[in-house]
This record gives sequence, structure tokens and C-alpha cells, in this order.
Amino acid sequence: MTFRRHGLPAALALLAALPFTSEAIVTINDDLELEGFLQAQNILRTPRMDDAEFVMQRNTAQIEGKYYFLKDSTAFGRFNTGKLEEATFSFVGRGVYDSIYDARPSYHDAFPGNQSLPGEFEGKVREAYVDLILPPFSLRLGKQQVVWGETDNFRALDVINPLDLSWHWSWESWEDIRIPLWMARGVYDIGKIGKLEESFFELVYIPWDVRHNIISTDPRRPWAFTGVGLAENPNSVFVGSQLKNLDLNVIDGSPGRKLENGQAGFRFKAVWGDVDFSVNYFYGFSADARGVLQNQFTRLDPTTLHVAYKTKYPRSHVLGFTANYSEEKYTQAVFRLETTFTTGVPVTVAPGAPLSVDPEQDQFETARRSVIMLAADRPTWIKWLNPDRTIFLSSQIFWRRWLDISHSYRGIGGVFPAELNGVVQPGRFISTNEDRIDQDEVVMTFSASTSYGDAGLLQPRFVFAFDPRSTGAYNQLSVDYLLSSHVVLRFQQNLFWRITGHKPGPWQLGDIWGHSGGNSRHESVFTFIYQF
Amino acid sequence: MGIPRTAHFSPWNLLLTAVLLLGAVVAHAADDQGYQALRDWIAAGNPADDGLPAGQHLGAKDRGELEAYIPRTAWTYYFFDDMDMEIAAHGHYPPPDTWGKTVKPGYSLDERGVLKGFTGGGYPFPEVTADDPMVAQKVIWNMLWRPGQNDFDMPMVTWLRGEGGKLDRKMEYISVTANYAKGDECLVPGYEEVKSKRIMEFRSPRDMAGAKDMSVSFVDHDREDSGWLYMPAQRKPRRTLASERTSELMGMDMIREDLDGFGGKVHENNWTYLGTRNVVATINVADNPEFGGPNQWVPNKARWEIRKAHVLLIEPKSKDHPYSHRVVFIDAENFWTLWMFAFDKEDDQLLRMSQHFMKYTESYVNEKPQQAPYMTLDTDKNLGQKVLMHLGETDINAKKPHATMTHCYTNKRVFSSARARQYYSLRNMISGRR
Repeated sequence: MTFRRHGLPAALALLAALPFTSEAIVTINDDLELEGFLQAQNILRTPRMDDAEFVMQRNTAQIEGKYYFLKDSTAFGRFNTGKLEEATFSFVGRGVYDSIYDARPSYHDAFPGNQSLPGEFEGKVREAYVDLILPPFSLRLGKQQVVWGETDNFRALDVINPLDLSWHWSWESWEDIRIPLWMARGVYDIGKIGKLEESFFELVYIPWDVRHNIISTDPRRPWAFTGVGLAENPNSVFVGSQLKNLDLNVIDGSPGRKLENGQAGFRFKAVWGDVDFSVNYFYGFSADARGVLQNQFTRLDPTTLHVAYKTKYPRSHVLGFTANYSEEKYTQAVFRLETTFTTGVPVTVAPGAPLSVDPEQDQFETARRSVIMLAADRPTWIKWLNPDRTIFLSSQIFWRRWLDISHSYRGIGGVFPAELNGVVQPGRFISTNEDRIDQDEVVMTFSASTSYGDAGLLQPRFVFAFDPRSTGAYNQLSVDYLLSSHVVLRFQQNLFWRITGHKPGPWQLGDIWGHSGGNSRHESVFTFIYQF
Repeated sequence: MGIPRTAHFSPWNLLLTAVLLLGAVVAHAADDQGYQALRDWIAAGNPADDGLPAGQHLGAKDRGELEAYIPRTAWTYYFFDDMDMEIAAHGHYPPPDTWGKTVKPGYSLDERGVLKGFTGGGYPFPEVTADDPMVAQKVIWNMLWRPGQNDFDMPMVTWLRGEGGKLDRKMEYISVTANYAKGDECLVPGYEEVKSKRIMEFRSPRDMAGAKDMSVSFVDHDREDSGWLYMPAQRKPRRTLASERTSELMGMDMIREDLDGFGGKVHENNWTYLGTRNVVATINVADNPEFGGPNQWVPNKARWEIRKAHVLLIEPKSKDHPYSHRVVFIDAENFWTLWMFAFDKEDDQLLRMSQHFMKYTESYVNEKPQQAPYMTLDTDKNLGQKVLMHLGETDINAKKPHATMTHCYTNKRVFSSARARQYYSLRNMISGRR
């Protein structure tokens, strides 16, 4: 209890004691460099902007290192390695302590008994890999992130590493929430062939490390995914007109971490004229699951319906093409394109769907989907806003189309109070899903960023994402102030809203976190970063 | 009740006030940073090329002598109480022995002043004459193709300081460049359209560490550079736009077009040759100079010498350009930029200026410059290269006011064809420090 009680003050004292005047980056010698940061992130939830409560005090220590153990074909300064010219070892380690459970007794008490406090502590080696340079071949072996594609913050080709959405959904830098995987990534540099320049072939192989997106559905957690309704677990179900207890059993059906579940992909990238393009293919597992109804376990007794679902992460093929073009004369903009064709997308099927849609009547199917993303980046002079520096404007339209579609396919469900004969039944909640998937799903984003001050130390950013079909939207207003080479202060306001209607949309934007569901998650984020 | 004593009219008070006002006017005139004042200073006559005593240290008391050699626009910054300028004898810094011997003939200037068909290996215009209507463009082409501008590892440290020397930010980064266009041959056969390639990577502070930029420039001046930027937070390279050259870079007090005095497009400007002028320059410093002055913005205790410089007036054609005029002083022997002054379109007053520090490779025999604070380089490789190497610069924004000072720890690097092909590739841009 001592640490619990004194954890935050101790952490702050540690921060205060650090040598703020020391050099950034720690060079042990010519071969080993260390850098990293300590970060205290406080999130204040401001539902409907008329109330506030602290929901997170996430204190993070991250250390990153690089060891240059092989240079100029000489390892450790003495061993000749022939054609192996360079090699380095890199690692990223992260420790997290969320002190909200100590700061707020109600949070702590929400997990009685011996229940562990989710997200309170984390300590792991996030990345650890060796880079080997054997021209024209390079190889990266180890736990790592691989990012493909041209899209920002929506996934089409960037599917190799799943995301940890459990603690702050996708509102963090994806570098910090991607789940690094053990894999091999080899790149063969081809160079110039015919009219193609800068070409290379890349192969990615993940032998056994199958992971998937991590989503919390525990409503006691501040960023649990609880659908469009209440932050509750369903405990009741209507059977006919009778309200029964629900005994829901979810069986983990995730593929095991074994060789037969290997994943692999390749990319060919080149520049043709002024167009930079790539052709990509990845054979893996869907990062998201849907439940497969286990009919054999479904049982109804006088008071309770016993139901079991097994999560399923289907095998998936992703074929993609990307391109970008820097148009320097007329628009002075960089245009980006990404398009994918994906199979094995899991989808929930409404109960009672016709056999033609759900032959197994297990409320689960897979579908094919395509994505086309078009984007433009432009550094733009708006001198009345910033006379010294351009404002970087970036916008994208992301259009996803279900190639297989049915009226029975369902999107995001929700938990609602159980009403019997028009009377709300206290403490009883049912799960429903009336969100019919649209064949065409669209989201548009816009961001603007620049810097102010003599040395550009004040760095504001504006982000806007909008789903024109559901009218759900997300706004981010943030500003970083680089107080010194070591200290960064950040303020960020996240707003979730919608214009009209009740459809949640597929992008987890406005309504699912916004005010119309009654669970507004508007939030103010205050972050202190000490970097070295 | 009488009139307060302090309100008494006194002829002595009047005299004192007049003297003070006159002093202020004189000081203001001396520090005039307007465009016309610089033109007047240039037109005032060329001082002798031996007008300063070689081997001596000059200070604030010698301002009268130095004013003829330091462009007037810079006086505000370069004259200060404890200033110390070591004056060296006029040096001669010949180019590499092979310089000019591999130039492929058949190139020319088009009607816009754009160089066509040139592939390096020497100066495109070894002889320039003042009566040539294209002399200003020819000087700038010589600057853009000067020896020593590529083929090095260049670790750098940059300090961004406000008034009073207040340090706002310190950055460490490394630039590695290779010259592809070598005249009658290309470093990497098949890439004859490429002039040079550069990869620059930030090392600190951590919010920038790992940011990596690859830039490809082409022998065809009409073709914009290609560029990619790798950001660790995104873990992928992003295509960048090259044609926007007037925004401040990374919070520094310079725009891309200020690089090397002029980093823009020749045909986007009007050119006037203002003749030659003897100026002092840090053309062959002993070491990366320390910074002095009340703001720590300018080199102090550095070695200077009188250099004959071509003076170019560059006037942007675009009405949206922030500069009304840019005046560049380019060394007449080796075509390195010594001084650059850019004036605000709003009022013709100084907006930005830069001054560069160089070192001749052959002086490394007797004078080893300091090593980068974060890596060790074998500077013996520099001997025999016979080029000037960039050891840093100061860039001042007079309007903020604020300055960016950079030390470069340049070390020559000779790329093999195979190594260049591997190093300067998109493959190398898809992953980074993290």
C-alpha cells in the first residue's frame, strides 16, 4: 500500500530530480546510444462539457537504444564480417503506471477482492530487433512494427501489426499502440530497372506471433468499447415476450501462436517518372473478431438463457496498391492513393437471417471488402494565421465498400435498459444490434498543423474526421509547447459529436463516444513529457 | 508655490537633449539595415584588398577600419564590445587537380538564364566578366556547381537563440551527401539525370530524433527535387513537396531558398550584377568558431580574411515572395557564398541574413578542427581533397529578432557507386532509428 499511496508523488519527485540541463540523447560511446522519455498524461473527461472527472493518470517511462555493433564489415571492432557491412541492435522498452487507481478510490474499489486493476501496470520490451545490412539486401529480425500504405489513421494496408485499443482507443500515436510482432523483414534493393527507379522488393514473414487488436469491453474501464448504448454488460434477454436472465459465455477462439499460423506478405515499391508506387500483398489473420454462435451450447432453462459465442479471427488476403505524386507546378500538393482488396473480413449476422445469408445459423460470416483512399498534403501560406511558416494541410477521403453485403449484416450494437411492458427493469440490460451495415462507408479527414514562436516551439494541430453517412465526427485541438530540449507540455481536447440521427457508423467516431448516446467522452488531456 | 525645479527651462538642458537626440540619429543611421543603405555601402567604393593588418586581432576599437569590409546591414550584430577578429593574409584555395577536366561541352544558358545540359565536373563558367548580360546568373551557376558542396558526412549542431543569448532549442543532426553528376561520368551509371542526393537524419531532441529526409536534386534545373520524409511516429516515409521554398525550416531562422545564400530557382528571379566588393569572410577558419556578441549570434575569436566577392542582386518575381531584394556576396575565387542579406517586401528592411564559415581541406595538416560532440570522424581523409568545407553558419532573422547558429563537423566521404546506390535508396527510407 505504501507504493500505492505514494506512487504519484514519488514519480513526480523522480521527474523533478532529473538533470534538466543535460544533453538530449545519451551517448554511452560511439557505439551505443540511449534516448527515451518520461511522460505523465492526465485525462479529464468532460461529458457534455458541463462536468469533469479524472479518468486516467498514465505515467510512462520509455527507453530506446541502438547499439552499433558492426560497422564497416567489422564486428565488435575486431571480427571481419565480409559482405555483411553493418549491423545494429535496437530496442524499445516501456513501463507504465496508471495512478488513477490510487488517486480515485472509486476506481480502485470498482475492482473488489483480488481482481487486478487493468492497465495499472505495464512493463515490456516493445521492440527488439537486429538490422543486418548486406548490400543489396537488408534484414530486420525481431520484435518490430512494419507499416505499409499511404493512409493516416485508418487501416487498409497498415494491417500487419494489430492495435492495442484498450486504454485510449486509437487516440494515441499509433507508434505507441501498435502491437509489435516477432517477424523477419527482408528488403532486396533492385534500384533502376527499365523506367522504374528506386525499386525494391520487401518480404515480411511472421512465423508464429499471431496477435489481434486488443479491445476492452469492461465498462469499468474509461475507454471500454461498449457500443452505442450504456456502459453496462448485458445480463438479460427477451425470449419471445419473456425477459430472461442471460448467461453469456465467450470462448476465446484466437489462433494460437504456432508455426502453422504463420503470416507473410510482400511489397514491390518503385518510382515511375514522378510517381512513387507500390504493390502489396499480405496473407494473415483479421485483427478483429466476431462471435460465432455455438448452437450446441445454447440452452434455455426457466429463468436463464445460456448462450456461448466463440471469437473467430478469419484468415485474410489483403492485396493493395499505393501511389503518391508530388505536383509541384499547379497545385503544389502531394497526392496520395491507397487501394486494397481484402477477403476474410468477419461480420456479425443478425439472428434469424435467412439460410442463404447464414447457412450455419451461427450469426457469423466473412465478406470481401475494398478500399480506395485519396489524399492530398499541402504546405499552405495563410499569412494572417502565420506570417512566418506555412500551415501543413492534409486531407483524405477513405471509401470502403463491402463487396459482399446483406441486409442481415450488422455493425456496432449496444446495451440498453430492459423494458417490459413499457417499464424499465432496474438493473437489467439487454444487448441489441440494429446497426445495419451500409455497403459503402465513407470517412473524410482534415488536419492542419504549424508552429509559432521565434523558434517554432508552439505547435498547434487541428484534426477533424467526419462520417457523412452517420454524421458522426471527431475533433482534436492540441498544442505542444517545447519548453526546452527536454520538456514538452501538451494539451489536447478531444470532441466527439454528430449532426443528426442515431446511426453509429463504422468508424468509431461521433456517436459511439459522443453525447447522443448519453456517454459523452469529450476529454481534455494534459501531458508532461521529459525527453532525453 | 513655485514652478517645480525639474520643469525649469535651461539652455544646458536643451543642449544636452539636442546632443542625445543627435547621437540617437547617428547611431540609427550607422545601424541602418535597409536595402538602400546596403546599396549605398556597396556603391561607396571598393576598399583595398590589403586594407586590414594581417596577423593582427581587431576589436571594437577598430570599427572604423572594419566598416568598409563588413556589409553595413550586419554591423548591428558584428560590432560589439569584446569582439575579436583575427585577420589572416589573403589565402589562395585552389580546386581539386581534376576540377574542370571532365566537363562535358555542349551546355548553355537559355533565355531565362537557366543552365541546360551541364553535368558537373567543374565550373560551368570558369571565366565571368562584368559586361556579360548574364554574368549574375553565371556566378550563381558557378556557386551551385562549386567544388566541395557534396561528398561528405556532416554531423551538425544547431543552436536557436533569442536576444540576450537565450537558448530556445538545440538540435543535432547528420547530413550525408553524394555528388552524382561528375561531368563525363555519373557516380551511379544509369542515374545521369541526378545531380546529387542527400540524406539527413535528426538525432536530438527526441521529439525530432529519427526524422530522416532524403532529397534528390537533378541536373535539369526545371525539375523539382524529389523528397521523402521518414517520421518515426509514422514509421513510414512520406513524399514531400519541393517547390514551397519560403517557409521557415524546422523553427530555424532560414527558409529553404536561403540555403547556401540562394537555393531557389533561377528563372523565378530577376538578376542584377552589382560588381565585385572586398569583404571580410570566415573563409578558412581554424576551427568551428565560438559565438559571441550580446546575443551570441555571430562568430567571435574567428579567423577572417579579405575576400573579393561577386555581389548579386536577386529580386523574386512572385508578388507573394517575402523578399523584395536579396543581396548575395559570393567568393570570386571559389564561388562559395560568404554573406547573404534578404529584405522584407513590406518595408525593404532586413528580414534575414546569413554568414558562412568554411575551412580548406589542406589546412587540416596543421589544424584539426574539433570533433562532433557525439561522434568521432577521421578528418585525415580531408587532406588532398582541395576543397572548402562548410563548418557552419549563422542565420539571423532581424524582425523577430532571433538567430540560428550551426556548427558543421564536415568530413569528406567518397562514395563508391555500389554504396551510393544502396545508401541513397527508398529502401533505406522505409525504416529508421525507430
